[in-house]
Amino acid sequence: MSTLFKLEKAKILSKSRIFDFLNLLKENFDSLIAPVRKGKYTVFSEIENVEDIVFEYTRTLLPPKKFILKYRRERFTYDAQTLEIEKQENLSKKQVIFGVHPCDLHGLTILDQIHLGEFPDPRYLEVRRNTVLIGLSCEPDEWCYCISTGTAFPDGANWDLFLTDIGDKYFVSIGSDKGDELVHLSDGLFEEVTEEDLNKFKEETAKKKHLFDYERLPDLERISQVIELEYESEVWKKEAERCLSCGTCTNTCPTCFCYTSVDIPSLDGKKVQRVEFITSCQYPYYSRVAGGHEFLEDRTARFRHRYYHKFVGYPYQIGKFGCVGCGRCSAFCPANISMVKTLKKLREGKKEKTNV
Amino acid sequence: MNKQLEKLFRLPTVEDPYQYKKVRIVDIEDLAPDHRMFTLKFTDERVSQNFDFVPGQFIMLTIPKAGEIPLSICSSPTRKGTIQITVRRTGRKTKYLYTLKEGDLLAVRGPYGNGFPMDLMKGNNVLIIAGGLGLAPLRSVIWYVLDKREDYKEVYLLYGTRNYRLVLYKEELERLRKRSDIKTLFALDRFESEEDRAWADYEGYLPGLISKVDLDPEKTYVTVCGPPIAYKFIGAELIKNGYHESKIFVSLERKMECGIGKCGHCQVGYKLTCVDGPVFPLWDTKNLPNMI
Repeated sequence: MSTLFKLEKAKILSKSRIFDFLNLLKENFDSLIAPVRKGKYTVFSEIENVEDIVFEYTRTLLPPKKFILKYRRERFTYDAQTLEIEKQENLSKKQVIFGVHPCDLHGLTILDQIHLGEFPDPRYLEVRRNTVLIGLSCEPDEWCYCISTGTAFPDGANWDLFLTDIGDKYFVSIGSDKGDELVHLSDGLFEEVTEEDLNKFKEETAKKKHLFDYERLPDLERISQVIELEYESEVWKKEAERCLSCGTCTNTCPTCFCYTSVDIPSLDGKKVQRVEFITSCQYPYYSRVAGGHEFLEDRTARFRHRYYHKFVGYPYQIGKFGCVGCGRCSAFCPANISMVKTLKKLREGKKEKTNV
Repeated sequence: MNKQLEKLFRLPTVEDPYQYKKVRIVDIEDLAPDHRMFTLKFTDERVSQNFDFVPGQFIMLTIPKAGEIPLSICSSPTRKGTIQITVRRTGRKTKYLYTLKEGDLLAVRGPYGNGFPMDLMKGNNVLIIAGGLGLAPLRSVIWYVLDKREDYKEVYLLYGTRNYRLVLYKEELERLRKRSDIKTLFALDRFESEEDRAWADYEGYLPGLISKVDLDPEKTYVTVCGPPIAYKFIGAELIKNGYHESKIFVSLERKMECGIGKCGHCQVGYKLTCVDGPVFPLWDTKNLPNMI
């Protein structure tokens, strides 16, 4: 998958033809996934009718990772007597996820790095290779801070096609051989890029950074250092006092991947299914070992752990922040805890004490 | 799907790290109340012969119907054919393991983690400090060093536990005590019986033994494993006695679901216990918060 945003590899898709394109995707893939309205939220869902798709939205409730790294997934089934692992067929469907915003594309790229690096996970690989990602440009709201985390644009992420809204057309960037083949397949739907289109594209792209309220954005400069220096800060305790340990922040996070593995015997006890469930570092039992010792000893420790992992852990593991600035953890927190505000408080606390 | 497009969905084959190898329990030995040693043999003889590891590495053991647990290997890679694990009955899965008999099947993934730097330690003294069940992974170090005795200079074992009843590998420790190529000092927390008094060299906690060791700290590597609470005190006492923090290696315990850096539970500071550890130099414990 290409990681470069190459302008010469681009086409134009008129908005009047978008449903034709989506129907073509639906015909060619086992499933088409796209954002739809669900009550007051937008969610990624399998599409029956392409006209249900929402093109202008800020953030979905859950990130598209739920179709790549399912929240409950079977690892394998084994025979309880012989321990023989049942042969698995290629179960993964060919799916296309349409309408993914840059932050979520970066989120999936981070998951790719975790799961396809050392000890690559063959099941993740299978699902990921059978997934085509089609990105869509967006406008930020008051929770977004992707401009601070460097994930406001698709540059540097893995994707196949990326659609930028340029008025009554989409400027379609091609990011992979699969994306290229899709354009090729949809012969007649796409047009060549004109000088005017290109200028409009540049204009629209440049516009995004002016849509942020810079007063609200976090200052992420030296944030790893700040978190390490302020490890004992009172801010953690104060913020954690409001935390319900519900795990909404990690469940809605596009880069969180922690899971727990459980062996579930069948009712007759003959077969055992090994199932993995997504878990959360905010749950009290997350770090509990046999004998009862908890390495993350209290709510404050668990609360801090999430920030530490996102801004100190990920840079060590994959060379960049584990936060893509989508704002979900803050927008959906039932206790109104905001990542941006916590980070601001940490930095301010630092000024008072050490004057750095 | 369109043929041209379908061609692009190629799938490279990768080895599945989640697949386990079957083992059979060939021996069970009760070491102390709720402490049992299992000797395991791979059902496939080729796997048995090729299974290599470094002392301090761990395996993920599948207990049928109960699930997987991480366990350090307590046998030495110098003695091939079987692997041994020492298990304390303490949780749901280990309770289930204790119901199994010789001949029953289990399954193993691994070995995982880094293990102790046995090559780095060559040509130096080795000081082994074990607290309680921490003796299990260090038993692997002891036998490794004794089987390759000419590679190492002086070898010292400090072992502390609560009372004589909880002493592990009793016969083996007696044999070690009598050997001339390894020095031993054993401690019990408090002498509660004549048995305790007769067996131990010292009454008190492990850190109290460190000043009794007559090794040149400059030429000594230290391996430590014990309960989480012990590391701070052992570390501080070692530093006080002149041992170098980059030459002290501690083996850590954390919750683990996968052993291969995917489940997230074993994060310590910015490192993962399963792939970056479980053995860390003491220096790391200063560098990384909440490690010990």
